[in-house]
Amino acid sequence: MFNKIKTTILALIAITSFNSASAMEHNHSMSHQPTGVVIHDPWVRSAPPNAPMLGLFMQISNNTNATVKLLSAYAKGYQRVELHRTTNQDGLMKMTKQEFMPINANGGLSLKPGSWHIMLIGPNTVPKEGEVVMITLKFDNGTTQMVHAVVRKGKIMIDHNHHAH
Amino acid sequence: MSKTTLLITVAFIVSIGVSVFSINTDTNYQSLKKELKVSHVLHNTDRKLPIFSLIDHNESPYNNARLKDKWTLVTFIYTHCPDVCPTILMDMVSLKTILKDSSLQTTPEFVAITFDPKRDTPKVLKTYMTYFDKDFMGVSGDQGQIDRLIKPFGTYYERSIEIDGKTVLIPNGQVMPDGVNSYSINHTAWLYLLSPDGQIFAGFPAPHKPREMAKDIKLIIDNY
Repeated sequence: MFNKIKTTILALIAITSFNSASAMEHNHSMSHQPTGVVIHDPWVRSAPPNAPMLGLFMQISNNTNATVKLLSAYAKGYQRVELHRTTNQDGLMKMTKQEFMPINANGGLSLKPGSWHIMLIGPNTVPKEGEVVMITLKFDNGTTQMVHAVVRKGKIMIDHNHHAH
Repeated sequence: MSKTTLLITVAFIVSIGVSVFSINTDTNYQSLKKELKVSHVLHNTDRKLPIFSLIDHNESPYNNARLKDKWTLVTFIYTHCPDVCPTILMDMVSLKTILKDSSLQTTPEFVAITFDPKRDTPKVLKTYMTYFDKDFMGVSGDQGQIDRLIKPFGTYYERSIEIDGKTVLIPNGQVMPDGVNSYSINHTAWLYLLSPDGQIFAGFPAPHKPREMAKDIKLIIDNY
């Protein structure tokens, strides 16, 4: 029993360190100006080959003591990239364009389906599952970050309750 | 047989008769409603679908007759929708997989009718819908007919356009200002189960839970 717990704890430590290590490496390699704002798990939802719009999602952590605003996003090969938020108002699903996304001090913002998301409008070619979309994020503290978002399905699949991602 | 035994026997037979009768005459599906977890029974003999004639993504007529003698799962979408509609369609993919694995004798037909036939032609819908599942069916057609059809479902949509940086909402049925080609659509996001009489039987509000929905659908079909 004790051994089992020990193994689990060790595994958790290993996973956590790996995640922080890759996040740090990611932040340093992708951004010329490390900001304390870290992007986790950026992904684009795979879509039909004629989809006029694509949704891009990620977790944004803000490890600084000041609120940071995501002002805009840019990706090559799209007519426009906009910041949006879906809200459910008494059953009416509303999508509203946002001027910015607030990332709270010592907090974060979760971009996910049915909530905050980045909208890739008018793709030259719809990327396929497994491909990577490079996206540049511009923040109000004067920094930019480039992230690599993998295209994937991103819904719970029906393989015995396991998540697809 | 004593008088008492006879009375008890008669009372027993009568009570069985009453209970069988009440099950068979549960026309409002009261007992079924209590068992359902994520669906609302919308069955209402006074609220029928209008006569409609739309067009499916294979360019064949899609009308009331297409809903007869089978169960159909219907939703309303538009392909310029980046977030809500793909989520609904992925939920339908999950639901279909679960239903196929269950002991249901028939899997309902999965249909998505567009709010936006101007941009969502049958050709566009075919490419879009079959990406999710080769057997999913997209339906387009006349905007006026679609607007009339959605009423008994309780479905609502409005177009959202930007004029001089301000959002203007155009409710369904109202004409768009000239020259506006860029718009998004706010809409309800229910799924509906239609019974083999071609009428709405139940509705499933968002967010959808495919596993619970599958259980409810099985209960509904078994008790119909």
